[in-house]
Amino acid sequence: MNPQVTIGKTTFANPVLAASGTFEFGLKFKSVANRLGGVVTKAITLQPRVGNPPPRIYEFPGGMLNSVGLENPGFEVFCREVVPHTRKLKCRVVVNIAGATVDEYGELAARLDSEPVDALEVNVSCPNVKEGGALFGQQPSVVEAITTLARRRTTKTVIVKLTANFVDPVETAKAAEAAGADAVTTINTLFGLALDGNGRPFLGGRNGGVSGPALKPFALFCVDRVAAAVKIPVIGCGGIMSTADAVDFLSAGARMVQVGTANLVNPEAALDVWNGLKAHAEQNDLGNWDAVVGRTRRRS
Amino acid sequence: MKPALCLVVQARELCTGIFSLWLEASETAHRVKPGQFLNVKVSNGPDPLLRRPISVCDVERSRVRLVFRVVGRGTAMLARVRTGDELDVLGPLGRPAPELHHKDIMLCGGGIGTAPLLFLARRLRRANRMQVLLGARTKAELLLVREFRALGLPVRLATDDGSAGYRGVVTELVEQQVRSQGPEATSQGRGRRSAVGGKPSAVFACGPRPMLADLVKRLDPIPVWGFVEERMGCGTGICYCCALPKKGGGHVRFCEEGPVVKLNEVVL
Repeated sequence: MNPQVTIGKTTFANPVLAASGTFEFGLKFKSVANRLGGVVTKAITLQPRVGNPPPRIYEFPGGMLNSVGLENPGFEVFCREVVPHTRKLKCRVVVNIAGATVDEYGELAARLDSEPVDALEVNVSCPNVKEGGALFGQQPSVVEAITTLARRRTTKTVIVKLTANFVDPVETAKAAEAAGADAVTTINTLFGLALDGNGRPFLGGRNGGVSGPALKPFALFCVDRVAAAVKIPVIGCGGIMSTADAVDFLSAGARMVQVGTANLVNPEAALDVWNGLKAHAEQNDLGNWDAVVGRTRRRS
Repeated sequence: MKPALCLVVQARELCTGIFSLWLEASETAHRVKPGQFLNVKVSNGPDPLLRRPISVCDVERSRVRLVFRVVGRGTAMLARVRTGDELDVLGPLGRPAPELHHKDIMLCGGGIGTAPLLFLARRLRRANRMQVLLGARTKAELLLVREFRALGLPVRLATDDGSAGYRGVVTELVEQQVRSQGPEATSQGRGRRSAVGGKPSAVFACGPRPMLADLVKRLDPIPVWGFVEERMGCGTGICYCCALPKKGGGHVRFCEEGPVVKLNEVVL
C-alpha cells in the first residue's frame, strides 16, 4: 500500500492532516504530528493579533462554536520562534495565512517562500474577524484575486481554504482553480450565534464558527459537489471525528482529510484516524487511495 | 498524550451537588502536581463533545481524587458515575503551582474552590508555614475541613449565614487575619505550623471569580495566586479558546499558563 498523496509540489506521507487552529503549530504533540501527513498551523497574520475577548468557546449537543479571532504572534515571531521547531517535524508543515487585505496575502506568500515550510493554506474563510476572512471567501472574484497573488508570489504549494457561508463553494473552488491553486480545503467553520439565555451574545467576539460532528453532513455535501466540479484535489474538512468519517470524505471525493475539533477532545484523534485508515486500506487490500476517493459518484 | 481509562474506586456525594471521585490512576498519581487538572470525558458519545477540566483535589499512592460541583449538563452526567465505572481522563494538564519554601502561606478557598487547595496544602506544608481559611454559604457546604485538619494545619472557617465559624465572606476573614498579624514574619523563631501565622508572603486562593477579585483588592499589594475556573476547549494549549485578559493587554491561555495564575496580573 502506498499511502502517499501529492498535492502541487508537496508529497504527504499519508492523507491525514491536523486542521488549522486545532493543533497550534504541531509542537505540543510532536509524536502525533510526526506520524500524520501534515500539520496545518494556526493562522498567521502579518501583524500579531491578540484575538477576541473571552468567552471564546460555546458547546452545543453535537458541536461547538469558537471565536478565537486569529490570535497569533504575527509573521515575524512565527518565522523566528516557531519555524525553527516546525522544520524539525517529520511531517509536512502547511502554514495557514490570513490577510486583512488582499495585498497582505501576497506579502505573506512572498515572505514565506524562503522559509522552510512545505505549503500555504490561504485562509479566506475565518468567520471570526471583522476584516477579510469569510467576507473574502464569499466572493469568487476576491478568491480569484487572492489566489492569483499568492500563486504569483510563492513557489510553494498553494491550498485555498474555502468557506460555505452564504456562497456556493463550487463557485469559489472554480475561482481558486482558475487562479492556479493546487488544492482547496472544503470547508471552514460555519457562521453561528450563541446567546446566553438573557438575549445577549454568549461569545466575546459575538459570532462564532460552528465545528464538530454537527458540521459533517453539510461538509460532506460540499466536498461531494466541489470534487465533482474541479480537477484540483479537494481536502475534506468538517466534523471528522473517526476513521469512518474520514472514509466518507474520501468517498465523497476528498484526496486528503483534515481533523480539527476532534483534536480538542483527544490530542491523538488525528493519529487514530490515520491508523484506522491504514487498517482500512490493509483490510481492503488497497494499493493506493484511488479506489476509495470519489467512489460515491461512481456508485450513484 | 493519550487519554486513559481509569477505574472509579469510590464515588460519593459530599453534600448537595458536590461529588467526590477517587480514581485508580497510578501514572497520573505519580506525575501530577498541585495546580494541575484532569480533563474528563463525561459521556461516551459526542454529546457533550468537550471534556470537563477538573482540578486534582488529592493524591494517595496510586489514586487521584477529583471533587467537583454540578454546574451544568456535563458535570450532572459526571455526577452519575458510580464506583466500579471507568472514566476517560486526559492529564495531568496545566502548569503546576509554584513550589515554595520557607514561606508563610495562606490558603483561601471558597465553596468548591476548596478542593484543589487540599493537594497544594499536602505538598507545601512540610517546607512552609501555612494557614487555611475556608468559606461557604452554610456549614453543610464547607468542604474537606476534616482533611485539612488531618494535615495538622490551622483552619479557620467562614459561612455566609454564620452556621460555622466567622459570619461573613471568607475574604473578609482573610483581610482581618492579615491586618491583625502585622508586618511580614520571618521564618526564624516561629513554629513550623504555628496556629498564628505571620502576614502571608504568598496567598493561594480558589473560588468564584467575584471572590478572587475581592481578595486581590483587599490584600493589595500582597500577591495572590489564584486557581482560575473557566470554560476550556482542549485543555492542552492547542486551541486558544481559554483566554484570560492580562492587565496591559493580551491574554493568558490558562489551560497552559494556568490554571494557577497571579491574579494581580489578570483582569478578573
